[in-house]
Amino acid sequence: MSLESKISLHLDVNNGMDRVTELVQTRLIECGWRDQVRLACRKAITESKDKQVPTVDELITTVTPRARSMVPDSVKRELLHELEMILVNVDRTGYAKHF
Amino acid sequence: MSLVGCSHLQVFKKNLKNKESFKWIHAVFVVGTTHKCRKTKICNAYCRICKKRGPYLHSCLECVFFGCMKHIREHAKNNKHILTMDLIYGQIHCNSCGDYIYDGEMEAIIRENKMMSGTFRRRLFESTSWDPTDEERTYLNNKTKKICITPESTIGLRGLINLGKTCFMNCIVQVLMHTPLLRDYFLTECHKCKSKPGTCSVCEISELFQEFYRGSTVPLALNQLLHLIWTHAKHLADYKEQDAHEFFIATLDVLHCHCYESMPPPKSSKINNNEICPCIIDQIFTGELQRDIVCQKCNRVSTTVDPISNFSLGVSPITYGGEQPSLIDCLEHFTRVEYLGDNDKIMCSKCQSLQKSTIQLTIKTLPIVASFHLKRFQYSEKMEKISTSISFPEMLDMAPFIGKSKNESPFPSDNRYTLFAVINHLGNSINNGHYIAYVRQQQDFWYKCDDHVITRANLQEVLNSEGYLLFYHKHVLSYE
Repeated sequence: MSLESKISLHLDVNNGMDRVTELVQTRLIECGWRDQVRLACRKAITESKDKQVPTVDELITTVTPRARSMVPDSVKRELLHELEMILVNVDRTGYAKHF
Repeated sequence: MSLVGCSHLQVFKKNLKNKESFKWIHAVFVVGTTHKCRKTKICNAYCRICKKRGPYLHSCLECVFFGCMKHIREHAKNNKHILTMDLIYGQIHCNSCGDYIYDGEMEAIIRENKMMSGTFRRRLFESTSWDPTDEERTYLNNKTKKICITPESTIGLRGLINLGKTCFMNCIVQVLMHTPLLRDYFLTECHKCKSKPGTCSVCEISELFQEFYRGSTVPLALNQLLHLIWTHAKHLADYKEQDAHEFFIATLDVLHCHCYESMPPPKSSKINNNEICPCIIDQIFTGELQRDIVCQKCNRVSTTVDPISNFSLGVSPITYGGEQPSLIDCLEHFTRVEYLGDNDKIMCSKCQSLQKSTIQLTIKTLPIVASFHLKRFQYSEKMEKISTSISFPEMLDMAPFIGKSKNESPFPSDNRYTLFAVINHLGNSINNGHYIAYVRQQQDFWYKCDDHVITRANLQEVLNSEGYLLFYHKHVLSYE
């Protein structure tokens, strides 16, 4: 198993994934990122008026690069910190018990 | 976009078994929280081609297959399977139409699953909203009395008639009526009463809320409530002027008892004496106070934790260095390390003897509404009132007064509190005098409630007043 899938398995087992997604989601809403992305999607849809309405897959491919670059550094840092906390604590004692 | 999904989904839906399996997959892989669900999810939820666990993991609805975005599309194409579901939000994708689709019937299944899931998860409920039917819409339009709230509107303000030295009660009721969380609780009719009509104080408060927010401005008489409190707290049954602080404590106590009685019995084991009761009164007003006693000989710490719904803070008649003492000073004094003298030795269980000790109070859990009682009445030979003015802020940070706990959460918590009500005592002694309340309404308007007379006040006037009971509301509520 690759390191990557090992980590994500670990996160799944300890419910860390839920915690982390919830955290990131909250932060992205708080800092207005979600509204920005929503606007970008709306713009992409209205701009394609003459052509066909883009499918969700197409929207994802067009909006993702911009959306990624708009994620504030503070959110990334907090996420990294949170992941470190979870992965370090897993080795210590009974992390899973608290969640 | 229509509420009925594409024709391919209609064919799929015709087979009841398909719907069943959709519901099961959604329940286990999208909203599942039970141990069994999680186990199934962990064992199965990975892409069958690249073995990765995401992102955009999908499940095929026509055979047992999981795949990431790229591989699920390949799978659908190669096997001529049409419908797949994404496992983060539970959206259905139709490969023939090439897009995600909505379907009212499937949405209903999804909604039901969400409601059945054990824990609240933001991502799942973000878009769940109430969509009233036409019938409900007309009902709402015809039966609702619409009230437009402007900065000038006085809704929620109601004078209270003095029934003969009952200003202490009027003040406390004004504060309760303007406690934001309590108001939200009662205006959404969360109290389901089981006791006989006319005996429950919580129902009485609930009715008062309706009266206050009805839009009427005629002053109210609180004879019913007074009677209820008198019958349940016998020591207050007297026509004398009572202490507003004592009445506040008694009222919370009576409300808590009635609230607790009407609640469904707790599922798990009995509620501990030390634990905060799940009733709305305790959830809002009760915190935990920690008392650490340290033996000076062996340094053994013995800790006790007690529930606390009101912080009684000592007021010193002397000002230090001419400076006006503040609420912060009082709180620092309250949580200081106190050295007990030779006469107050405490039994140390380690030393097995009476030892000199220190004692310190810290706040273990903060209540949502923190109320401070400034001890202005000295119960010595003469009942004296200490009129030292104590400054108090509009925004109070309680962080310095919280005890350090071992299992601190990784998130820094916000412990700021905002002032929303102040009760003042006018006069020189406890036996005579008058109580008035300042309450905050609509975020930043202040009103002075003097029995049946309500006048507009401003923040400065409130902050400059003497202060007897101060009520602070938590600024940011956190999830549990």
